[in-house]
Amino acid sequence: MIEELEIILETTSKILQKHVNHSLRQNIVSENTDILNLWNEIEKNGLPKISVKEKFGGYEIPFFSILPLIKILNNHGTPLPLSETILSNYILSESDINPPNGIVTFATDTKNLQIKNNMISGELLAVPYLNLTKNLLIVHELNNVKKAILINKINGEIINKKNFLAEPRYNIKVENLNIAEIRPIKNNIDFNFLGAILRSAQMIGAMEKVLDLSINYCSERKQFGRALSKFQAIQHQISEMAVELSASSAALSTITKLGLSEKNSNDTAILKIRAGFAAGKIIAISHQVHGAIGFTKEYELSYFTKNLNSWRNDFGNESFWEEFLGKRFLEKNNKNLWEYLT
Amino acid sequence: MSKFNFPFIKETNELSNLRKEVREFITTCINNNEFTPSPDAWVFSADPSFSKKLGSKGWLGMSFPKEYGGHQRTALERYVVTEELLSSGAPVAAHWIADRQSGSQILRYGNEKQKSSIIPRITAGECFFAIGMSEPDSGSDLASVKTKATKTKNGWKLEGRKIWSTGAHLAHYMIVLARTSPAPEKNRHEGLSQFLVDLALPNVKITGIPDMTGQRHFNETLFDNVELSDASLLGEEGKGWKQVVGELALERSGPERFLSHFTLLDSFINEFRNSLIHSGTKIVGKLISEIQTLRRMSFSVASMLQNGESPETQAAFVKELGNKFEKMMIETLREFSNIVPLHEWPNQLQNLFEDATLRIPSNSLRGGTTEIMKGIIARQLGLR
Repeated sequence: MIEELEIILETTSKILQKHVNHSLRQNIVSENTDILNLWNEIEKNGLPKISVKEKFGGYEIPFFSILPLIKILNNHGTPLPLSETILSNYILSESDINPPNGIVTFATDTKNLQIKNNMISGELLAVPYLNLTKNLLIVHELNNVKKAILINKINGEIINKKNFLAEPRYNIKVENLNIAEIRPIKNNIDFNFLGAILRSAQMIGAMEKVLDLSINYCSERKQFGRALSKFQAIQHQISEMAVELSASSAALSTITKLGLSEKNSNDTAILKIRAGFAAGKIIAISHQVHGAIGFTKEYELSYFTKNLNSWRNDFGNESFWEEFLGKRFLEKNNKNLWEYLT
Repeated sequence: MSKFNFPFIKETNELSNLRKEVREFITTCINNNEFTPSPDAWVFSADPSFSKKLGSKGWLGMSFPKEYGGHQRTALERYVVTEELLSSGAPVAAHWIADRQSGSQILRYGNEKQKSSIIPRITAGECFFAIGMSEPDSGSDLASVKTKATKTKNGWKLEGRKIWSTGAHLAHYMIVLARTSPAPEKNRHEGLSQFLVDLALPNVKITGIPDMTGQRHFNETLFDNVELSDASLLGEEGKGWKQVVGELALERSGPERFLSHFTLLDSFINEFRNSLIHSGTKIVGKLISEIQTLRRMSFSVASMLQNGESPETQAAFVKELGNKFEKMMIETLREFSNIVPLHEWPNQLQNLFEDATLRIPSNSLRGGTTEIMKGIIARQLGLR
């Protein structure tokens, strides 16, 4: 399994290196044949179903083990909902639903959702990349049971298109939309946790790129007769980026190893807190050391920092998870802190 | 960035059992009034009899080889023991430096006589060390040390002054970084050597320097033409810089970089648990996320040390994050005094808090400043 994953990591990196560039990111629409070609190439490689059960044609590599892959996808700034598709397909497969081919996106935030006669109505909020696909996973809780709902022909009224942060996101109102499949999610897994893990891994991939961009830029750009990287003030700022990034990476490696269970749900909280906090620092410092060029559309830094801003707000920001951690400790046990931590 | 990975290391059942054993021992000691938990105990709280007791339990020199009285246990086992001692504020200052860095340094570079005469005593908790790096004119710029060792007929003559030598007045030895040949213009790191100096030798003069808390741990150590034997050279002549850098990795990566004031946090939470449930869940969550991340990173470095790697940069990451966390923790507690005013805190807690406030500036100075840590990281990033 590890070998399979390594091979997939390597081939994926090659594909991304060849196809992804900044101009591709500026035109994320289904009419863009370069985007579609990239998707096809990736799909041929089996990537979207990497965590899907073998009986549904997947590699059945556990979702938590493939987090390094999520990191790579986002390190390259791949303008496709690959991370979303991988997670959606994993949930579908775990719920014993055969995932469709092609892009699958997810809707977890909803308003007035109603299900009747195998049809669904209501508002789906902030759905990523709805412009590229007809396949949608809706996660919805009915009578305390979390359900995975697969839609394979989404249509409805777009009530808001939000994409001033990098990725396309849509609020859509649907009426009597046919449900392809609906099943309880295995072990009643809370999608919010998986989402937080997914977004954190994406952030870490993007932050690695932002750090590299900053190092490269400061090493090349000369002012006052020497490279910016030779100024101690700049060195210390960039070191701070690396320090925060290393803390998030350490938190991610915990999840990659331990996965997610009731016992270690704190680790998800810690990961999202660290990644969100690091993102805040890294966005600010990277823009500061880049100067005006980083603030242009043409230069790729902003693609990553915009995404970082968007992902750190998804599935609970730092405060949300800090509350979660604090409450869990203070309310649910009488141990002293050290006993609890160890 | 892949060079800064901190792989996740799981605490095995054996380690958890060891943890329990140490915890029970400490609880018994506290119940018998053998010590009172205190802040920054690895710097300020020395109790040679407690050190000896730890030695007899087998919890000093844990990873040292059996032939020198060690226990051949892993760096991870040592990590668990040190965490338990630090989090309970036990009086570990007497042996701390010997157990953390000097012993390993001697095992790595020392000659047979140095190893067989000193290591068993460190392991027994009977031999203490001070660090001989900083000087009146050399702080962050360690390569500029002026202390000089000159070759004589029978050995070396040591001349110079070391400063901030924590615990030197209680220590038996100091590992002294000295210049043994003039600094070449191009590379000041050459021509430095380390010496294992017996502090009881004639012409060694140790004077205390009270710090701003009024306590003594700092010293100035004067070497006024001290005669050293040939065998006092530690490691290779002229390779002192490389050796000292390795020593610093041991010094910087441990849990003392973020658990120095854990007793304060623990008492704070026990005291204000009920108010925190209503108005402090977020701050408690923030503190938990910080400590857990640091523990994972520091544990990961322990495993790198165990595997014989040289995690100097990773150690700088841990120290930098740990120092920041401790300062943030004090500030967070201070903000809470908005909810329960400080003068209404129980006396003991108030004392702990004020004590920590007083001591906290030193945490990002000792063992290398923030600026030095950032410099080390910047070099690894290719910026210098």
